[in-house]
Amino acid sequence: MKKEESQLLNDLGKDAGFKVPDGFFEDFNARVAQSLPDVTITEVNVAPSLWVRVRPYLYMAATFAGIWGMMQVFNQFNGSADHAQRISEIAAGIPNDNNADELIMSGVASDYDILTYEDSVMADEPQQTQRLP
Amino acid sequence: MRNSYDEALITEQLHHQDTAREAFGKVIQHYSSQLYWHIRRMVLDHDDAADVLQNTFIKAWTSIDNFRGDAKLSTWLYKIAINESITFINKKKAQNNLSLDDDDSFLAERLESDEWFDGDAAQIKLQRAIATLPEKQRLVFRMRYYDEMKYEDMSEILGTSVGALKASYHHAVKKIEAFFAEHD
Repeated sequence: MKKEESQLLNDLGKDAGFKVPDGFFEDFNARVAQSLPDVTITEVNVAPSLWVRVRPYLYMAATFAGIWGMMQVFNQFNGSADHAQRISEIAAGIPNDNNADELIMSGVASDYDILTYEDSVMADEPQQTQRLP
Repeated sequence: MRNSYDEALITEQLHHQDTAREAFGKVIQHYSSQLYWHIRRMVLDHDDAADVLQNTFIKAWTSIDNFRGDAKLSTWLYKIAINESITFINKKKAQNNLSLDDDDSFLAERLESDEWFDGDAAQIKLQRAIATLPEKQRLVFRMRYYDEMKYEDMSEILGTSVGALKASYHHAVKKIEAFFAEHD
């Protein structure tokens, strides 16, 4: 406020020099309240609008949608990373539990690789030692 | 009394026949002073300001159905007060054979003889300077300088953008400074 005012106005101050009789407002308030004419009020319940009523639910829905969207992006990002890692492992011919089937089906793995992988699985699971002929 | 004023409750009570009158009494108590001073700075004379203020409240009361609570009660009352003041000043101009386009200097001429004015020569000159401003600048200057009203609130009352109000205030101050320089 100060910066937009001039030195002249600052010097003059805001007391315009207007006065009122003592007790003016008390008398005035009582007199005007007494002199109000009779009116008929159209009774209305100031009901909140449709927008006001549904707004909290819309905000809540938008919040959940936002969280769901972020989770989708996050999952997609993680999925992409896993998928890329699997592709590179398949390309390099590195067998593990995740990509063994794809390596076998794609023909990248040789018969020797397949047998080696099956042997390693069997070694990890000694209780399943019975092999089919 | 001001501490017990709950505008949301009052607004609700104003719309029911059995509570409206008492609620409006509280409105009068709450707003009479600030509306009076705004009107007084427009019409300058105490008795005239009291009459215009009374008309303002009676008009608000008789058209209370038009107030739906969409805007602040103060905004609605200020609009009525400003309209009543302008109507009053225009009637005075007609009584004094002045054109509606003339400025409000004739109101300031009576200040020195007003028993409810004890300002010095500089204050009288300031009122004369304000009276020479175009109507919109006069309103904006008084609401900003004396009432210290926020531009956003003024924008709601006057229906003018905040940028335009700031420009109006700036022009008003420059014109008042020029008036003082010219009448030094």
